[in-house]
Amino acid sequence: MNIKNMLLKNFRSYKGLQLEFSPSLNIFTGDNAQGKTNIIEAIYYAALGTSYRIKNDADLIAWQENEAVINIKFLRMDIENNVKFYLNKIKRRQIILNGENIRQRELPGNIKIVMFSPEDLLLVKGAPSLRRRFLNIELSQTDIFYYDNLVKYNKIVIQRNNLLKKIREKKQSINLLDVWDEQLFDVAVFIWKKRYEAVKKLSDFAAVMQKNISDNKEILTMNYKIHNIDLLNNDIADLKSLYKDKIRQNRMEDIRRGSTGIGPHHDDIELFINEINLKNFGSQGQQRTAVLALKLAELEYIKNTSGQYPILLLDDVMSELDEKRRKKMVLFFKDKKIQTFITATDISMFDDIKDARIYSVSLGHAEVIKC
Amino acid sequence: MQYIEPLAKLIENLRALPGIGSKTAARLAYHILDMEPSKAKALAKAIIDAKEKIGFCNTCFNLSDVNPCSICAAANRDHSTICVVEQPRDVAAMERMRDFKGVYHVLHGVLSPLDGIGPDNIRVKELLVRLQTTKVKELIMATNPNVEGEATAMYIAKLVKPAGIKVTRIAHGLPMGGDLEYADEITLAKALENRREI
Repeated sequence: MNIKNMLLKNFRSYKGLQLEFSPSLNIFTGDNAQGKTNIIEAIYYAALGTSYRIKNDADLIAWQENEAVINIKFLRMDIENNVKFYLNKIKRRQIILNGENIRQRELPGNIKIVMFSPEDLLLVKGAPSLRRRFLNIELSQTDIFYYDNLVKYNKIVIQRNNLLKKIREKKQSINLLDVWDEQLFDVAVFIWKKRYEAVKKLSDFAAVMQKNISDNKEILTMNYKIHNIDLLNNDIADLKSLYKDKIRQNRMEDIRRGSTGIGPHHDDIELFINEINLKNFGSQGQQRTAVLALKLAELEYIKNTSGQYPILLLDDVMSELDEKRRKKMVLFFKDKKIQTFITATDISMFDDIKDARIYSVSLGHAEVIKC
Repeated sequence: MQYIEPLAKLIENLRALPGIGSKTAARLAYHILDMEPSKAKALAKAIIDAKEKIGFCNTCFNLSDVNPCSICAAANRDHSTICVVEQPRDVAAMERMRDFKGVYHVLHGVLSPLDGIGPDNIRVKELLVRLQTTKVKELIMATNPNVEGEATAMYIAKLVKPAGIKVTRIAHGLPMGGDLEYADEITLAKALENRREI
């Protein structure tokens, strides 16, 4: 799949910007704070309906303007599609896909992306929430039911946690918990099953990638770890009754803490290199290689489940890789015909790459300097 | 720009309405100033009248200018079937259908701990009193199909079922007149899940 062109109006630093993209490599260069990342952010937003940089959509609208527009034409299975966003400071946001209004829940998966930014370098070393987010973004784009259930799950947990606090303050009765718990069980089990399958598949792809990057020295394995529930023989069939019991056993503790202590929002993905826990005992080099392997595995996962490679967004990460890995990566994208968007301040590192389209970005303008 | 005080006040009041931003509020305010005095007065009177004359029906808690409301007072309606909805506008939607012959109960909200709303903040107690004083055969839970609406329906069902009253939940699935191929996958999955034998 690839993006043909994009129009931005009053989006961040862009009053009006129209860009035609190369189906292969697109490189945005320019000094810091000129708006390179805004272009990546617009594509990310068009894919997922949220920004990874800010929480409030209003902050995406140019200063002193009321409405911003993102309009993107993209090819999926060689058929042209169009997605348009109207962001408004007062009115509700509108998403129009091929001329019809759609809801947020119908958006993810239309444009599929894999994003790699400096924050992702912590994917192996950092908090479990980063790894869950990685999985959530991947699954939401390939499975519309996953996304729907995830949104539902988060809502139930927020409501339940608020209720737990009120029970603790003796403002509500404990009997009220049942109606939230019962909704929790099914949705949690659905999410667990999907995550289990995804990690299993992802693990196979990531192992191949890690082997390649490490010159056959390192075997990477992954394991989805459910917090506080021990699965005998990894049999997810019993999960619902196990979870029911745990939630009931844990009630008093949940009330004391005012939050739900067990569920998919506490889980983690464990990573091993040659059977050694990578997070705790891996070298920095191994961890970095594994992050790269995970991102490349994500590309393969999406290709495998949806039939086409997603679009790859590389925001400011090329300078974080050594020259050998950088070259290996670029060759990989070109070889697999993955449309790639790269931002970088230093253009010289792409000197020997042919047929990349290079744009110069400065103060809210972007122009092609090399085709 | 600084507006003169009465105009600023009018704009501020209009802006507080849902879906109206400062530009629209200003446009409406200038329009009101351009109106004939009699029309402006009629508008003000309509707002005051609506606010003063409309209250809640003491039985179903729908909006009404009489008590009991015309639905609760109707002899030709089935008072043993109560449809429980979240808001008065849901009653209006059901009534547009002209097919439902029972009566209503308006909760004025749903359970939402996040917003500090528990059973005491919506009209649950009034429903229970009503069930004790009138003979009710069936309660149709028509709250919205989201987590809060589902929790509220489940909660009321749990309270009422021991009394031997039949509690049903409205189905969700495909919209009528819509083609299968245009339904989004999630709606379609729900419709399939709630299929029935024919």
